[in-house]
Amino acid sequence: MRNVAVIGCGQTKHSGKRRDVNLAEMVGDAVWNALEDAGVAPEEVDAFTVGNMQGFGGVAQPEQWLAEWIGASGKPVLRITTGGSTGASVVHGAYYAVASGLYDIAVATGWEKHSDSKEPGATTGLTHVGLGNTVNQVNCGASLRHLLSMMIVGAAAGVACYQAMYYMHRSGCRIEHLDMVAAKDRRNAAKNKYAHLQWPGCTPEDIARTELVAYPFRFGHICPASDGASALVLASEDVARKRCPKPVWIRGLAAYSDEENQIMSEGGGGIGILDASQQVGATMSAIKAYRMAGIKDPRKEIDLAELYQPFPSQELIFAERIGLFEEGKAWMALERGETDIDGRMPCDVSGGVNATNAIGSSALQRILECALQIRGKAEEHQVPKEVHHAVATAWGGATNYFAVTVLSDSL
Amino acid sequence: MPYIKEKRKETLSLEGNWEISASTTWKDSPLLQEYALGLKEKKIIGSLCPGCGKVIVPPRNICGRCHRRMDERAEVSDIGTVTCFVISAPFEKGKMKLFGVDPVDLGLVKEGERVISVYVKFDGADSNVDTELVGAKPEEVYVGMRVKAVWAENRGGKLSDLEAVEPLKE
Amino acid sequence: MERRVAIVGYAQSHHQQDMPMTREDMVFEVAREALRSAAILREDVDTVITASTDFLDGRTISNLYLSMAVGAYLKDESKVEEDGAFAAYYALMRILSGVHHIALVEGHTQGSVVNPHLVSTYTVDPLFERQYGFLNDISAAAFQARMYMERYGVSEEEIALVSVKNLTNAARNPWAHRKMPDLTVEEVLSSKLYYDPIRELTMSPVSDGACALVLASEEKAGEITDTPVWIEGVGSCSDGYLRDRDICRLDSLRKAALTAYEMAGIRDPSAELDVLEVSEKFAHEELLIYEALGLCPEGKGKTLIAEGVTERQGETPVNPSGGALGADPVCATGLVRLIEAAKQIRGDADAHQVPGVNRALAHGQFGLCAQKNIVFILGSDKK
Repeated sequence: MRNVAVIGCGQTKHSGKRRDVNLAEMVGDAVWNALEDAGVAPEEVDAFTVGNMQGFGGVAQPEQWLAEWIGASGKPVLRITTGGSTGASVVHGAYYAVASGLYDIAVATGWEKHSDSKEPGATTGLTHVGLGNTVNQVNCGASLRHLLSMMIVGAAAGVACYQAMYYMHRSGCRIEHLDMVAAKDRRNAAKNKYAHLQWPGCTPEDIARTELVAYPFRFGHICPASDGASALVLASEDVARKRCPKPVWIRGLAAYSDEENQIMSEGGGGIGILDASQQVGATMSAIKAYRMAGIKDPRKEIDLAELYQPFPSQELIFAERIGLFEEGKAWMALERGETDIDGRMPCDVSGGVNATNAIGSSALQRILECALQIRGKAEEHQVPKEVHHAVATAWGGATNYFAVTVLSDSL
Repeated sequence: MPYIKEKRKETLSLEGNWEISASTTWKDSPLLQEYALGLKEKKIIGSLCPGCGKVIVPPRNICGRCHRRMDERAEVSDIGTVTCFVISAPFEKGKMKLFGVDPVDLGLVKEGERVISVYVKFDGADSNVDTELVGAKPEEVYVGMRVKAVWAENRGGKLSDLEAVEPLKE
Repeated sequence: MERRVAIVGYAQSHHQQDMPMTREDMVFEVAREALRSAAILREDVDTVITASTDFLDGRTISNLYLSMAVGAYLKDESKVEEDGAFAAYYALMRILSGVHHIALVEGHTQGSVVNPHLVSTYTVDPLFERQYGFLNDISAAAFQARMYMERYGVSEEEIALVSVKNLTNAARNPWAHRKMPDLTVEEVLSSKLYYDPIRELTMSPVSDGACALVLASEEKAGEITDTPVWIEGVGSCSDGYLRDRDICRLDSLRKAALTAYEMAGIRDPSAELDVLEVSEKFAHEELLIYEALGLCPEGKGKTLIAEGVTERQGETPVNPSGGALGADPVCATGLVRLIEAAKQIRGDADAHQVPGVNRALAHGQFGLCAQKNIVFILGSDKK
């Protein structure tokens, strides 16, 4: 098994509307920044993995159009898309490309440009995740009132709302804790020059003042739809040791998929998961990733976590799922300040997905942020302690796709 | 080599309007139809996996654990438990659109009404059914509440035959 | 390659115009059959890679509701959003890394859900070409065909010979969609005209279909089967966009083939390959593919077809299964080529078996005018 390291990171500024660049320029920006950071020339890249949710921008297979912009012309390109976890799947693809021995240097990039479509955040009518099922339900005589009751949480929150309720019910977490997480994320994002929703000094009261969308989610809890791109350069051990002063090793990775739980399965059928916050796939992915990385006690050995949390409840749920806190106790750790930037287990010091959500890029940014923290290059949002091991998660699909990646400063 | 591009506030752009709608013919299995026909007789039917014995309501085709078809059928009770709930903000005209129409205008909801969406596990089933709770105020809902199905007066073998659930009167 | 990886089981659907089955059913059938053909349980599978695209399936995250059907419940799963041959390539890399040992690969498209030609209009550059509105995969291929014909003096009749070969071959393949055992050149040239010179019978049909195969590392392959089909070489490459390349040459295929040949130790493809299964979405494309694979010099593809070299009973049979002209379930097409090549090596290829196959080539492509390509070299145990 070949060892693989991250030797370069690149991002673009994420915001609601990046009208100053077109899609090709935006992705090109991210890739060029990553190559510059790695000190690798475009000719030296052996393979590319790319991903975005093509339904949003209205361009099918965009990497074919932008091949020249990212220097992928004449190179092997693999397109990997798995919903919200796309960014991590893309990095995993690049990892395997290098670990397989076929390639020495691979670039992984993910992006999203919501502002190209008329309704940012909406998928073009051609491709909607549940539309086929909804049409079937209408054909079988579902009432409009029923469809309304299913859609009150909107496509944005979906089953995350139910998931939060399950968690709150069994752990004792309250809506005030969601306010605390959202405020922390936006405060942290203010220190991250690439993030979207920057709110310096944001307090839980600021969040509590925002409108309630559907209990327990307020408007201030929900992630934005951002435009942005990010990229990583991965290299084999030989190349990394020669060229990079501080390579960040990808020690463990896994992406177990679970049963889908977006209210219904294919054809409108039921779901055999009774607790949407259970997320067995996340736990299994974490177990495998930790084992590969040689981590026996994540609570002691992990220094920092970047959790995929479009909604604040997920920061707490997933932190428990991957073993960083005891079951049902993450919200208590939050109260004690353990997840703050200077806490024992800093979570999402970059602001996380809650502050920046360009779907194809958001999961990649979680891995990228871990790498930056390990190298000490996170500038204003760098944690004050030394980071040796970090874990990044990704979540996507209809709560059924996960990806866990463990990064270290040593082998 | 640095990336050379002049920084502009807004890049040159071309407006184009394409109605990206194509004739999409999704295919769906007859399972949901079977379920809807059962509702006409006030029966809630689920699919039963011969491998692990799980009963899924509404019926689904394939059991992922056993990787086989959930060929058999089982009827579950019309009494169940609320396992989760979500309450909407009070509806206002102009706030949201359902398939392009305003639900308040359409008469689907009243102004100021709060819709309670619940996951119900009917006794005998191993899955949640997503439906609406009526006959209870938002403050009264709790996880574990026992509920009973509310059947439509005139049932015609449609999904709307199972209108909602209401609190079970002991 | 440090580890050896083999194909140990496979299954495909009966490709047809409008399958009376949901995606879930179709995928379930091929996944279960592939596991059965390898005689392994779902528990033995380490990782699952699927291939499908959002636009073609009419849903974002197209593999979303299919995880259970394909057998990926609680398995390390991922997906590629292009031809299934690329999914096999990703699964191969996963096994070569040493992290996984047995992989299930699946690809599917139901062309009857959304017309793939309509979807191809959305792959066109949105800034310039989409404004004109006439570019799609067929019209782009028409440009390519006309350029090729003018540059090398190839006639429509010579191109039609490819259709005749493949569609008569398809008649012997129980899984193919379009079978025309008595097809003639005249019939091909009088079929419906799309964009001159592309006609109904010189382009692939719109098919519904799925297929799956099982890959195993050397240690596991020995436990599973006596007839593993070894992957001896692989090469993948992607060209620039339509306007940025010479569409008369499949440069990315040339590069991909060279990488695969080098890995497999092949110096003379015509002599050393017993059968080839290529993804020719258009009849003229097969001629360009011959040249890019090094079977003949540039511009001489027409000689190979005119002299019958690539016929089923010729010296270098190409597409005895009927190729993509016989059945084109978009994301499954390249994976079907891998399966057909493996079947030839195992002697399992029904009525379209070519005798004495020890080494085969399988090719997959995706994008306007075959923008990206992948080549696999497969071999049997005996040499």
